[in-house]
Amino acid sequence: MRLGTRGNQRKEHGLGQVNGHHGEILQGIFPDDAGRLHRGLVTLPCNIVSSTAVFRPAPGNLVTVPDDKLKAAEAARLTLDSLGLHDQGGHLTVESTIPVGLGMGSSTADVVAAIRAVADAHGAALGADEVARLAVRAETASDSIMHGDLAVLFAQREGIVLEHLGPALPPLEVLSVNTAPGALVDTVKQPPADYDDWEIQAFRPLRGMLRRAIRTGDAALLGRVATASARISQRHLPKPAFEEINAIAASTGALGIQVAHSGTVVGLLFDPRNPATVRRVAEAAARLDTIGLPPALHFRTDAAEVRHVA
Amino acid sequence: MSQPLSRESRGFPDYELPRLVRLTDNLHGAAFFLMKLLPARHMLDRAAADGRLKPGGTICETTSGTFGLALAMLAAVRGYKLILVSDPAIDEHLHKRLLELGVTLEIVKKPYEIGGFQTARLDRLRAALEANPGSFCPSQYGNADNPRAYAEVAEQIAERLGHVDCLVGTVGSGGSMSGIARFLRHLNPDLHVIGVDTPNSVVFGQPDGKRLLRGLGNSLVPPNVDHRQFDEIHWVGAAEAFLATRRLHQQHALYQGGTSGAAYLVADWWARTHPDRKVVTLFPDEGHRYVASIYNDDWLAALPGWTGVLPEAPQPVAHPSDVRPSWSSYRWDRRTLDEVLAAGTPVARDLAEAA
Repeated sequence: MRLGTRGNQRKEHGLGQVNGHHGEILQGIFPDDAGRLHRGLVTLPCNIVSSTAVFRPAPGNLVTVPDDKLKAAEAARLTLDSLGLHDQGGHLTVESTIPVGLGMGSSTADVVAAIRAVADAHGAALGADEVARLAVRAETASDSIMHGDLAVLFAQREGIVLEHLGPALPPLEVLSVNTAPGALVDTVKQPPADYDDWEIQAFRPLRGMLRRAIRTGDAALLGRVATASARISQRHLPKPAFEEINAIAASTGALGIQVAHSGTVVGLLFDPRNPATVRRVAEAAARLDTIGLPPALHFRTDAAEVRHVA
Repeated sequence: MSQPLSRESRGFPDYELPRLVRLTDNLHGAAFFLMKLLPARHMLDRAAADGRLKPGGTICETTSGTFGLALAMLAAVRGYKLILVSDPAIDEHLHKRLLELGVTLEIVKKPYEIGGFQTARLDRLRAALEANPGSFCPSQYGNADNPRAYAEVAEQIAERLGHVDCLVGTVGSGGSMSGIARFLRHLNPDLHVIGVDTPNSVVFGQPDGKRLLRGLGNSLVPPNVDHRQFDEIHWVGAAEAFLATRRLHQQHALYQGGTSGAAYLVADWWARTHPDRKVVTLFPDEGHRYVASIYNDDWLAALPGWTGVLPEAPQPVAHPSDVRPSWSSYRWDRRTLDEVLAAGTPVARDLAEAA
């Protein structure tokens, strides 16, 4: 692999970090250039939660803390093997602020952080595509968070990018609701959605509108795509109170809603460039409270823009 | 990545999608070369994928219109045998072109006493299917792959135009309008959908009769017509449609066929009366087949009911049975055909109002 002088560049410890996400703007089945169909998704990044891994190389076994981070351990092992370090072990610690079981990418974040930490410890620079391939091998299906804020249509079971959509999604303000507090969805073990023939075709216009939304920075179009995708998802992994949340979003001037297609969170999407958004978000939060679903999280996705300015 | 192109996957990808032309501030036309290529290709692809259509197999269908031409083009490049059942009304140039493309054309000579040519053609189709075991019948009126094929048009519209407020198009098999309307409404639940039919077509509740305007309307109600997609229905007569076809060419330089004129007449009116709403309308085929008819002043002047004047607006009617020979409109309100017809005939309504 990338490691030319194996061992010589080994550091005392390597660091890996990655942000979580808030489910998907779009998830479904999409044709590639040759017309072959792939499962794919476009992630909504959430940069206020993250997973951090530290790896200290050592001979012998691989020890992981906490020891229930099995996917992260598997990912670290695969990364060592891919670097040719089959006999090498080490000490991996993973810490995460990403809630588990809500569909916010906690599992993939641990895996990606572990891969990056192991690579960093050995002076290896892995590209996002390589990290994605290792992540999918470690956990079967993987989110696209290794691509950061880049807007990609990502085949989550193959670890490949089906389409590069743009440098980032249009900025969004997201009011987050956990529709099933306490009821954890095993996001990894879920069977893939069994889309019918109409739904498979319906993903085409959603993808078309998303291309335009990203190209032109049109957050309103993005909201329409996310809502349409959430509607299809509702047939496969229904969210409690979906219609009520949708009605609150519509009546408080939200651009639309998005869901974690393998989790329990729903996001109400607002336009951060609109001065009315502060008032609208507060109103939506109050209305959500009245139906027993007080929003747990509130964040903006324009970190990428801020970085560009800096 | 490059793989040899299999014979079964050959087609005309760049001919399938329309060119999008901005006609006015808020009106966009989707001008097709031959709209039926897209559903025909999709139906053949799906049938080939699940084994209903074998390599080198036989396709049988009844059609005297552009769906037959699309099948013939695909059959020619993909190496299928194609049997088309039609009747004497088939256009002579189309007839020659189909023969050139290797089609076996069976012309039903005489209509049945009950059911007319339609039933006679279906009988002949059944015989052709029985005589060719393993042959595939696309049946565009009932095949759900027909409306589903139009997701690609909806994708193009969504990518190029973004949010659309109103979709206008003619209805024949039900594939294009029912398909595109449902896909676009998934992205915009408030989408206003206008179907364009012609008097004496039964699709939206008129009694069956002779129709001079072809390529829209029908003598039977195709299962692929999803009546609940439509907010408004307009019935456009032949003379008005042809005059609008000429105006589309004269004012916008788009050389299209008569169904395009019918769609343009209605879409242009709606766009003018709703200047802040974005409208897209479908122009199903080009004008070259109509050189001797629609684009011929002498032929037009000899048409029954020809006035040479285009109406400014439709005549609203209270029920489909009130429709006159000229441009009429009706608020369909996304109902089923049964719901609309059960809403009562004019006589029944008068009685109800009097009571």
